[in-house]
Amino acid sequence: MSILAWCVAAWLFGIGVYGIVTSRHYVHLIGCLAVCQSATYVLLLGIGFRWHAGPPIFYDHPPGTPAVDPVVQALVLTDIVVSAAMTALLLAIALQVHKRRGTLDPQHLRPFRQEK
Amino acid sequence: MNPVQLLPVAVLLPLGLAALLLAIAHWLPPRLADGASVLASLGLVALCGWLAVQALHGPVVHWFGGWTPRVSGRPDVVLGIGFSADPMSAVVAAFCALLFALSFIFAWGYFDKIHAHFHVLMLLFMAAMIGFCLTRDLFNLFVWFELMSISAFALTAYPLGRSSLEGALNFTVTNALASFLMLAGVGLLYARTGTLDFLTMAKVIARIAPDPVITGGFVLVATALLTKAAIVPFHMWLADAHAVAPTPVSVIFSGIMVGLGLFGVLKLTAQVFAADAQVLAMVHGGLFALGIATALTGGLMAWAQRHLKRLLAFSTISHLGVMLTAVAAVSATGATGLLLYLIGHGLVKGALFMIAGILLARRNSVDELALHGQGRTLWPVGVVMAVAGLLLGGLPAGSMYAASDLIHESAHSVALMFVLIFAASLTGAAVLRAACRIFIGCSGAPGVEVTAPTERGREQADRPLWLMLLPCVLMIAIAVLPVDAVAPFMGRAAALLLQPDGNAATAIASDHVTLGSFFALALTLALLAASLMRERPTRRFARRVGRVERLPFDALQFLHSGLVTDYVAWMAIGVALLAAFLG
Repeated sequence: MSILAWCVAAWLFGIGVYGIVTSRHYVHLIGCLAVCQSATYVLLLGIGFRWHAGPPIFYDHPPGTPAVDPVVQALVLTDIVVSAAMTALLLAIALQVHKRRGTLDPQHLRPFRQEK
Repeated sequence: MNPVQLLPVAVLLPLGLAALLLAIAHWLPPRLADGASVLASLGLVALCGWLAVQALHGPVVHWFGGWTPRVSGRPDVVLGIGFSADPMSAVVAAFCALLFALSFIFAWGYFDKIHAHFHVLMLLFMAAMIGFCLTRDLFNLFVWFELMSISAFALTAYPLGRSSLEGALNFTVTNALASFLMLAGVGLLYARTGTLDFLTMAKVIARIAPDPVITGGFVLVATALLTKAAIVPFHMWLADAHAVAPTPVSVIFSGIMVGLGLFGVLKLTAQVFAADAQVLAMVHGGLFALGIATALTGGLMAWAQRHLKRLLAFSTISHLGVMLTAVAAVSATGATGLLLYLIGHGLVKGALFMIAGILLARRNSVDELALHGQGRTLWPVGVVMAVAGLLLGGLPAGSMYAASDLIHESAHSVALMFVLIFAASLTGAAVLRAACRIFIGCSGAPGVEVTAPTERGREQADRPLWLMLLPCVLMIAIAVLPVDAVAPFMGRAAALLLQPDGNAATAIASDHVTLGSFFALALTLALLAASLMRERPTRRFARRVGRVERLPFDALQFLHSGLVTDYVAWMAIGVALLAAFLG
């Protein structure tokens, strides 16, 4: 695997965390979370990558043809499914918060601290 | 009956029941979901307990679809996915199911209006926890971890109130980030070892360690588990989430969910990284230091709270720190201590959260200052709460006491042992202080807790008191039972987790009382007396002392800002700290 994939993954994760830390809107924050998540996908796909190898589908290739690692692809696919649920849940919660509070700025949404 | 065939049932039963309830609960009487959930949980207690006994002679292993390692025809290539029950994992799984059973009894009739959605989420939650305990595959561990997180997020946000939604957002964002770190860590470990199976991975690591990619992978996976276990500085989300979740859910959160994170760290360290000196050095040193810091931070924060559920949440953080020092020892003594402490603390903390739930249902508040003297007519609840507070503070009886003895033994340092005792005493004294104020009405001028955040709350009130009190009493009764009968089994189970071939030394817990074992209790009662006899500072000198006393608490309260962006920044700092420790 080339060093480029590692760098891209680290960079994506870094800007994602930077975005979360400086966020002033929850939908933006959830977007940044998705950026962090794509960093892990780049990392995983980079790990499984082989030069001069095809997709791991042996329908029209004889078994033994070089192919990229299917395990990490399965991992990514599984995580995409789980994370879709997570993002949907986060957005649903954000929607409910907006209905009740009229704002999505984390600065104004601190549990236990609105009655002072 | 064949244990190998029954092993997957531990996960399939709750998953199947959840699916069934989701499909047909609309047409059934509401009590049926309650009853079915309680019965299923009790059945799982029996099943996992039986598996634990069966596994004493060697782990019970089930390969799904018959994909055993032999199928690949090459050594070190494991194509299948398996479950593997060693005695300690099975005991932890059985304890999860027990807490769920008691929590379902407490929640009897709590969630009538919403069909069985609560039960469905709880059953998924339980399946995820049991799967987490029994899996022998790193990616599966991650999937169960994620499933556990997602059902927990939904259960926290469930009441759709202001604080519960905001607490759930903080919880979800921090824990989602943690699970991305875990996935990245799993990826790194796979990149070097080419396998996801625990035992095969351990063999490869023994061959190639020390390796920077392996160590990096461990740091990322451990960070995720420590975030779930609310270890400083990844702990900020816990007080927000546990304080706002519905009571039956808080019981599970504080009772076992967070402890599972620590169990995961121990299991991975012992079964996968045991041969990697660099990782072990980090666990012995770095995690031990984090444990001490967590115990102290949690204890001080618990002392400075007035909202009972927040107080209990911080006390959970403190006790998790104590448990992390046991994990950091990676020894038979530490592991036995962890197992007993996990059970003892889970029972006591679960009972305390249920008491907070009773107050919410009967008095519409859990603020110890607002409820001053209002619990007099609920005196049986007060008695249970006092016993629970004494147990937290070191009453020499039952499994928590026996476990803390082992944990102190594994700490190897008298000074640090005193820090752990002091932290536990602070949490016990804080609980007793609240109990005295609410149920007896004695007070003393409020100290640092008066400025702590609080709010009113309400929970479904039409349930009989005895039904809510029954699970609390049961939990406290189990927690004070003498441990002599189970101590050899627990010691054996812990030793088998560390050395599956059965060659490890066994540590036998004991709850024999000596004069020295009253030290923690005396410290707790002294702290309690100090807070109840405090007077309003009138003289200038007294005021100045009061201001100095406030300073550290104010600083801690300021750091626990409730702002999710701060929490994520702290997580980044924590990962940097762990990496620096390796550097």
